[in-house]
Amino acid sequence: MMAPFEFSEMAGLGLAVLFGAFFGLSLERAGLGDPHKLTGVFYFQDFTVPKVMFTAIVVAGTGLYLLADLHLLDLSRVYFVPTFFWPQIAGGALFGAGFVVSGYCPGTAVAGLASGKLDALVTMIGVGAGSLLFAVLFSALEGFYVSSDWGTETLQALLGVNHWIVLIVLAALAGGMFKFFSWYEKRVVHP
Amino acid sequence: MKNSRFWSPYVAGTLLGLTLLATFFVAGRGLGASGAFSLVTGVGLNAVTPGYAASLKYLSQYLGSPAPLMNWNLFMVIGVFLGALAGALSSRTFKVMFDKGASMSLGTRLVTTFTGGIMIGFAARLARGCTSGVALTGGAQLAVSGWIFVLAMFAAGFLVAAIFRRLWS
Repeated sequence: MMAPFEFSEMAGLGLAVLFGAFFGLSLERAGLGDPHKLTGVFYFQDFTVPKVMFTAIVVAGTGLYLLADLHLLDLSRVYFVPTFFWPQIAGGALFGAGFVVSGYCPGTAVAGLASGKLDALVTMIGVGAGSLLFAVLFSALEGFYVSSDWGTETLQALLGVNHWIVLIVLAALAGGMFKFFSWYEKRVVHP
Repeated sequence: MKNSRFWSPYVAGTLLGLTLLATFFVAGRGLGASGAFSLVTGVGLNAVTPGYAASLKYLSQYLGSPAPLMNWNLFMVIGVFLGALAGALSSRTFKVMFDKGASMSLGTRLVTTFTGGIMIGFAARLARGCTSGVALTGGAQLAVSGWIFVLAMFAAGFLVAAIFRRLWS
């Protein structure tokens, strides 16, 4: 039997809690329940967010394509995040603005609340309110929401290269960025 | 190290990446957080005003199931809370407080934390996910969605931080 696997509803929900717990533990132990650390990158003070994020992306991306190439994982049965180009550009930009204003994103707000931050709870209520606002305005937004549908487009398909080329380039870019952060922290942030 | 009460971001990032890889391998899906907020909003509104909730096309997607709260995204967020709580308690970093920028009043912070929440809640619906569901999951899949979201998010974040320096510095 090839991964991914099928589960009963209860086993699936148990796994969701388990994976979520490691997700939350990673966020909190990185310091990402703290809005000062979360927004630090945008003020060139603390680079924890890009360090954690790009490390996780390179590790998971390498593992995903390695398991697929070794025929241990059937990629056709893995849910790929679909691309809707303009809605995701607009959504990403509004998200980045809201991230700096609130100091959290949805997952890190939950980690913040779990580390005792009551302002994170207010952000969580705001996320619910923002979801409701989207639902109320959906009839006006639907045309844009379903526009520029690229399907499950990947960088390697778009560029017409092997996925390992993309992964190596991303890992090199991440490594270069981490070296720059380390230099900048020594020279500018904590000289 | 200055922040020795936390793990190295590379160690925490590796654990986060292995967690994401495990969800891909075992369950054939990625991580997510914002979907649970939308689900709870839909179910909550349906409890208060059933007719109105069902009339909203976007929320009606959650209301077809007999037990809509038995949901992967919601249980994952419950796990996030439990895992983060275990981390904060075991490292003694748990502290009840209302956090804010150094030069900000409590009233202003109440407005920014709620307004920012509305913005990320709305934006995550428009983008079909947030930092976890699109940026991390899509980014690791080398999906175009993940990378355009990451670029747009950082570009806008730097811009807003440059204009509103007093939010956090």
